[in-house]
Amino acid sequence: MLRRIFLLAVVAGIFGLSVFWWLTIPATVAASALPAYQPNLANGLITFNAGGCSSCHAVPKQDDRMKLGGGLAIPSPFGTFYAPNISPDPNDGIGRWSEADFVTAVMKGTSPSGTHYFPAFPYTSYQHAGINDVRDLFAYLKTLPPVAGKVRDHDLPFPFNIRRNVGIWKWLFMDGKPFVADAGRSAQWNRGAYLVNSFGHCAECHSPRNLLGGIIGAQRFAGGPNPEGESWVPNITPKGLSDWSAKDIAYFLESGQTPDGDSAGGSMVRVIRNTSQLSGEDRDAIADYIKSLPPVEGPPKPPKKADKD
Amino acid sequence: MKRIVVIAAVLVFSAGAVVAQQDQVTQTQVVMKGNGKNAGALAAMVKGEKPYDQSTVDAALAQFEDTVKKFPTLFPESTKGLKPEGDYSASPKIWEDKVGFEEHIASFAKAVTDAKGKIKDLDTLKAELPVIGKQCGGCHETYRVKKG
Repeated sequence: MLRRIFLLAVVAGIFGLSVFWWLTIPATVAASALPAYQPNLANGLITFNAGGCSSCHAVPKQDDRMKLGGGLAIPSPFGTFYAPNISPDPNDGIGRWSEADFVTAVMKGTSPSGTHYFPAFPYTSYQHAGINDVRDLFAYLKTLPPVAGKVRDHDLPFPFNIRRNVGIWKWLFMDGKPFVADAGRSAQWNRGAYLVNSFGHCAECHSPRNLLGGIIGAQRFAGGPNPEGESWVPNITPKGLSDWSAKDIAYFLESGQTPDGDSAGGSMVRVIRNTSQLSGEDRDAIADYIKSLPPVEGPPKPPKKADKD
Repeated sequence: MKRIVVIAAVLVFSAGAVVAQQDQVTQTQVVMKGNGKNAGALAAMVKGEKPYDQSTVDAALAQFEDTVKKFPTLFPESTKGLKPEGDYSASPKIWEDKVGFEEHIASFAKAVTDAKGKIKDLDTLKAELPVIGKQCGGCHETYRVKKG
């Protein structure tokens, strides 16, 4: 009898493990799935700026946005991530990557060695990008200067350091749906919707997250506690930006200045360094889309502490 | 008896000191908000919401210059950890990385001086305001904290 129970437990265990294994197989894009293509470097630069790659991957504490040696510490409730080197250095960066490796990394969140990237890399947004934009971006990154130096490993406690578990996370929080234009809206609005939801990855910081670190869909763009620790990320639905015109939003993305003359602070400063490089048309498109979001109440702020802690 | 008087005196004195520090924090906030208001007035012209007006430009630059002069006294070590009413407070990094903070002040001072001779019309304002705005953001990125 005991032996039978034991056997049953073993079989159930093996079955459970295989389901887990099957659910967590990292998705890839095969080279054969990429038709011949002549990349457009100018568009690669636009996607580079829209994607905010340098916000995290530029070497910290220096002014060159094109030095993508990585190293920035990104704190989170799950541990500290260190942005990797994505310069074209053959040993420490992505110099030896194939185009399919890059498309797989950006759109599936899977590394060339076939392991899951942690979602600190915002592939949940990048998955909505157009594949040719991603290919242009790869071609553009290849033109940047190689930076030597491997970045240290992430500092994550168990069980968050088990990459295979990220497969479950992806299964829960990654929809895999491409961006679909809304025929009932203007070309400008659709361009804005595309930039905001794919490369711009605005929702990654401007939305509250659940206990597992997944975005709470109903409160997308409604702000919340800063995942990097201190402070609060603003609500960018009309609930939070009611007194901002589309022009105010576009000007903010260009200059970092709010309508009342204040300036952006914290990580948004790095975002502005990228959005200020976009064309005026793209900034207007983003503003148009942001203004059209449904007004959503964000999570309640903790009571304001007067004077001091 | 004597002891009580001394203790009371010390208490009153230190309470007074804390109040004074808190006043300093509030004053600093007033100066910063003044900067914001002036920067906002300049931005309104750049955005085309208001016509170009040289006196508004001069007043804003004068306020920025005044801030440059006051900066060394705005963040005394004694105000570390104190927070004003409102959305933002000073980051402890101001005192932990004094050298970096002072570099930012110097760079802001230079941007203001440069702009003073240059802004004469809407086009020059459009060219110069982002340079100043970058200084604001560059410092706020590290040395200002949004309250949770």
